[in-house]
Amino acid sequence: MIVQSLQRPQGIRPPQTAAAVEAKPTEARAAAGTQAATIKLSVRNLNFYYGSFQALHDINLDIPAQRVTAFIGPSGCGKSTLLRTFNRIYELYPRQRAEGELLLDGRNVLDRRQDLNLLRARVGMVFQKPTPFPMSIYDNIAFGVRLYERLSRYEMDERVEWALRKAALWDEVKDKLKQNGTMLSGGQQQRLCIARAVAVKPTVLLLDEPASALDPISTAKIEELISELKKDYTIVIVTHNMQQAARVSDYTAFMYMGRLVEMNDTDTLFTTPANKQTEDYITGRYG
Amino acid sequence: MQQLTVPAAIARQLRWNAVADLLFRRLTLLFAIFVAVLVFAILVALLVGAWPALSRFGPGFITSAQWNPVTEEFGALATIFGTLLTSTIAMLIAVPVSFGIALFITELAPAWLKRPVGIAIELLAAVPSIIYGMWGLFVFAPWFGDEIQPFLTSTLGNWPLIGALFQGPPMGIGLFTASLVLAIMVIPFIAAVMRDVFELVPPVLKESAYGLGCTTWEVTWNVVLPYTKVGVVGGIMLGLGRALGETMAVTFVIGNAHVLGLSLFMPGNTISSALANEFAEAHGELYVSALIALGLLLFLITFIVLALARLLLLRLSRQEGRTT
Repeated sequence: MIVQSLQRPQGIRPPQTAAAVEAKPTEARAAAGTQAATIKLSVRNLNFYYGSFQALHDINLDIPAQRVTAFIGPSGCGKSTLLRTFNRIYELYPRQRAEGELLLDGRNVLDRRQDLNLLRARVGMVFQKPTPFPMSIYDNIAFGVRLYERLSRYEMDERVEWALRKAALWDEVKDKLKQNGTMLSGGQQQRLCIARAVAVKPTVLLLDEPASALDPISTAKIEELISELKKDYTIVIVTHNMQQAARVSDYTAFMYMGRLVEMNDTDTLFTTPANKQTEDYITGRYG
Repeated sequence: MQQLTVPAAIARQLRWNAVADLLFRRLTLLFAIFVAVLVFAILVALLVGAWPALSRFGPGFITSAQWNPVTEEFGALATIFGTLLTSTIAMLIAVPVSFGIALFITELAPAWLKRPVGIAIELLAAVPSIIYGMWGLFVFAPWFGDEIQPFLTSTLGNWPLIGALFQGPPMGIGLFTASLVLAIMVIPFIAAVMRDVFELVPPVLKESAYGLGCTTWEVTWNVVLPYTKVGVVGGIMLGLGRALGETMAVTFVIGNAHVLGLSLFMPGNTISSALANEFAEAHGELYVSALIALGLLLFLITFIVLALARLLLLRLSRQEGRTT
C-alpha cells in the first residue's frame, strides 16, 4: 500500500490519512515557510471513477489562496483527473463520477444543487492544447464575459484590453483584435486562452499542463505569467515537468496511482521529500 | 552530373517503379479530366437539345407561365417557381430540424440512445424516393388534407399578408405537401452530415467552452457551429441539391399542374416532375426541346445554388478575419 503523508500550513485541518505520522519530521519546516495562507479549496475524501475503474482514491488536500499549487506525478497518476473535478468538467462524460467533498470557500461544490455555470465562472480552466474559439481575438475574450455581464461597448473594450494585458498578450495583438484567434502562434493562442479564462474574473485558475505543447520561450512566458497571476488568483497547475513545478509553484503535491503520496511546500518537497516514492520520482528513478 | 550507382537488379526495379508511377499518375489525371469533360458534354447536349425551344421563345421561355402542349406554347416560369418554392420551404423546415437532431445526438443524448437514433437516420436516408412518394400520396396527403389543411386555413389563413398562402381547397396534394415530403426526405441527409461534422470538433475545444460556464446551446451556437460551418453548409447544400432534383416523390404529391398561384395548397409543378411526367407523351420536336430546356434550367439552378454556397463560405471566413 502506498503511504500517504500530508503536510499543511498552519491553521489547516490535519490530514485524515493513515500515515500522517511519517510526516512529522518536516512539519515544522512546512509550517514555517507558508504562513498566513488561507485555504481556497479543500478536497475531502475524494474518490473518482471512470465507469467501474477507480482513478482517485481518498484524496485529501488543501489548496491555499493566492498561491500556486502544482500536481506532479507520472502519466496516469490521476493528477489531471483531480484537476478536472475542481470545475466538474468531467460531468460532460456520462460514465465519470466523483464522490466526496470539494469545498470552495467552505462550500461543497460537488453538491448536486451547485449551479455548474456559476462554479465555472468562479473556477476557470486552461487546457494542455491551446483552444482558441473560431472567432476573432476580441470575441474570444468578450464571449466569456458576455455570458455573465452586460457591458457597454466601452467597458467591454476595457475588459478585453485588461484581460489581454493580464495575459501579457496585449502588445502583440492590439493591432489585430479583429483577426481570427486561430491565426496566432501556439504560445500566443495559449496566452489568449489564459486571457479568456481571466476575463470572467474567476477566483481559481486551473492549468492542465498549460505549457507542454509549447516551445521553451513561450513556456517561459507562461511561467512568468503564472507568477504574475498568483497575486490575484489561486492557481492549480498540473505538470509533467518537475523543473516547471519547482520554478512556478509554492506547493507541490506528488500523486501516484490515483493516490496523493505527499504534499508540501515546493522547496521542502523537492529538497527533502518525506516519502521514498516521492524521492524516487523527483530524482528520476521511475515515472 | 554523376548518378548514384546501385546494383543492376535494383536499378531495373527502380526503372519499373518509375514507369508504374508515371502510368498511375496519367491514369488518375485521365479520370479527373473525364469528370470535367462529362459536365461539359452534358451541358452541350442539353444546349443542343434545348436550342429549338430557346430560339423560338427566347427569354419568354423563362418569364412565361404558359405551358400548353396543344398550342405548342411553352413557358417555364411555373415549374421554376414550383421548384424553388418547394425546395425553399423544405429547407426552412429541414435545416432547423436536422440541426436539432444532430445536436441531440452529439451533445445531449444518453449513450444508449445515440446509436439507435444514428442508425435510424442512416436508414431513412437509404429509403428509395418512390417509397416516400407512395407514402406521401396514400398516407400523408389524405391525412394532411383532412386534418391539417382546414386547420391551417382557419388559423394562419386569416393572417394578413401570409394568409393568401394558406387558402384553397384542402385536397391534400399540392405545393405544400410536396415541400413537407421533401423536407422529410432531406432531413436524414442534412442531419447525418451535421452529426458527422459536429463529432469532429475536438472535445477539448468544447470542454474549454463548457469550462467558461457556457450552456450546451451557447457551446453549440458559438463554438461548434462556427468550427464546423464549412461542413454544415456542405450538408445543407447536399440536402438542397436533393430537394431541387427530387423527382418521384414530388411527382406523386404535387398535383402536376402548370399553374402559377400564391396558394401553397394548390397543385403545382417542379421542373423534374414535369420532365418525368411528360417525356413519355411528348410529341413534336418543340415539345421535347422545351422539356430539354427545362432540364438545362435545372442544371443551371443547381449550379447557381452551389456557386452561392461557395460565395457564402467565402464571405463568412472573411467576416471572422481569416482572410484580410
